[in-house]
Amino acid sequence: MSKINLEEAKKLAKLSRLEFTDAELNTFVEEFEKTLEQVNAIDSVDTSKIDLYEETLLADSQLREDVVKESFKQEAIVANAPEKKDGAFVVPTTVE
Amino acid sequence: MNYLDMNLWQVKELLDKGEVTSEQLTSMCFEQIEKTKEINALLSLCKESALKTAKEIDEKRKKGEKLGALAGIPVVLKDNINYINTKTTCASKFLENWVSPFTATCAQKLIDAGAVIIGKANMDEFAMGSSTENSAFGVTKNPCNTAYVPGGSSGGSAASVASKQCFASLGTDTGGSIREPASFCGVVGLKPTYGRVSRSGVVAFASSLDQVGPFTRCAKDSAIMLSVLAGKDELDMTSSSVEVKNYVQEIKGDVKGLKIGIAKQFFSDKLDDEVKTKIQNAINVLTKNGATTVEIDLPSIDVALAVYYIVSSAEAASNLARFDGIRYGVRAKNYEDLVDLYVKSRTQGFGKEVKRRIMLGNYVLSSGYFDAFYRKAKKVQKIIKQEFLEAFKKCDIIISPTTATTAFKIGEKSDDHVAMYLNDIFTVPINIAGLPAMSIPCGVSEKNGMPIGMQIIAPHFEEGRIFNVADFYENNKEVQ
Repeated sequence: MSKINLEEAKKLAKLSRLEFTDAELNTFVEEFEKTLEQVNAIDSVDTSKIDLYEETLLADSQLREDVVKESFKQEAIVANAPEKKDGAFVVPTTVE
Repeated sequence: MNYLDMNLWQVKELLDKGEVTSEQLTSMCFEQIEKTKEINALLSLCKESALKTAKEIDEKRKKGEKLGALAGIPVVLKDNINYINTKTTCASKFLENWVSPFTATCAQKLIDAGAVIIGKANMDEFAMGSSTENSAFGVTKNPCNTAYVPGGSSGGSAASVASKQCFASLGTDTGGSIREPASFCGVVGLKPTYGRVSRSGVVAFASSLDQVGPFTRCAKDSAIMLSVLAGKDELDMTSSSVEVKNYVQEIKGDVKGLKIGIAKQFFSDKLDDEVKTKIQNAINVLTKNGATTVEIDLPSIDVALAVYYIVSSAEAASNLARFDGIRYGVRAKNYEDLVDLYVKSRTQGFGKEVKRRIMLGNYVLSSGYFDAFYRKAKKVQKIIKQEFLEAFKKCDIIISPTTATTAFKIGEKSDDHVAMYLNDIFTVPINIAGLPAMSIPCGVSEKNGMPIGMQIIAPHFEEGRIFNVADFYENNKEVQ
């Protein structure tokens, strides 16, 4: 049965691009244990005979012509940006 | 005559006859919203555009122009459905100021059918929750008793219809988010077959499970709504090209020969006795009129909740990665570098439950756990789907309770997320199998006066059967 410790929770937070205080993380680990008890229930099902790839996921999907169509206006999309300049998104410097 | 007490199909007839105008109806809805604002069902109103649209439709009607199936009817959208030039917040601080630059396909279909969109409904943040207590903008209260939750995540949409602020609303259902609030608020809520309604323009939670559906006051209204909403959309590759029926015509007024599947797994000891009795009484209404019951077995649905939390959280973690503070939403003020900007913006913008699901999702997707959780869950999902397909060889529909209990009080389960998750045990298996299901009211609890909901489940793309059975029950429940 899977469990989680504080160190793993810290790593998970980093991967999730989230930040927690130690107190928050401790509560989180406790709660996470309870959730894991729930999700571990799937262990009880025998899935040895199941092949996930024997059917196509999107049996209904269709190909279409690649046609250029009018898309969103640049101003409309950039309008929601928290920081913008000259019709573009402003990001922190990533290359020195 | 109080028009707001009427069903959608009834006001539609009165609009056609010229007994009331859309402008009058729309104004009445705004007055009702003001009178019932204590329940906090709506996050924003579209008063100016709604009254303008209503007037335009009245003009067209006067001129004798051809009008759509929802011409002049005031409706509400859940706040994760984009509607151009309105805020679509998903009840998250992260998107508090996001203004939609486009309209979702489902909303556009309503507009094309003449509907008047009057507001956007409160919800659990990013549709994660079962009580609407996870909204960043305050809890919605249950119109039947304001001490109780309306259910969730589409709690605002359900409460809006129940408090007669509108004639229909749209919600989204990933694990029960339409059916559970419908049950708690005493209205009709339909989760269509996965792929029946386009998800394009609806903010994604778990893309392989999410489905848009209507809240209404009766089954016939739901059939009218789905007839408008359903269909293939080139903007959503998972939308289906299976033929869209005129669902109102699927209502035959007869249940003779109908085989109702009853699974013991839906009637376990987790079920409240009073709820069980009411569901049994409702089934009796059908069997006294020519339907029969047949026992079916769904042995794996007890683990559907585990499958749900693995699959939905994994997809949520991926879908919510786009909220990084760059293109929209919250951007933290002080940060050291690009990654720190992501971390601080997300930490400030997301609420507790959303963070919990992102963490769980990344956990089950991470190396070392992927096979044990995600791949295993996908395999169990397939088994659950097969069990339903097998069951439907013996019956036409399946009936179950929508929830094990009636609505709970605000704050009662907010500190116990596992108890909250257990709330969805009867609705989650339906999303896992991609089936259509409706919750309809089937009585009121004598203990707390809160509504009880019955869930009617049909095979894929057989929503017509649901409308027929639900409509029959509504019209015959008093004559037992």
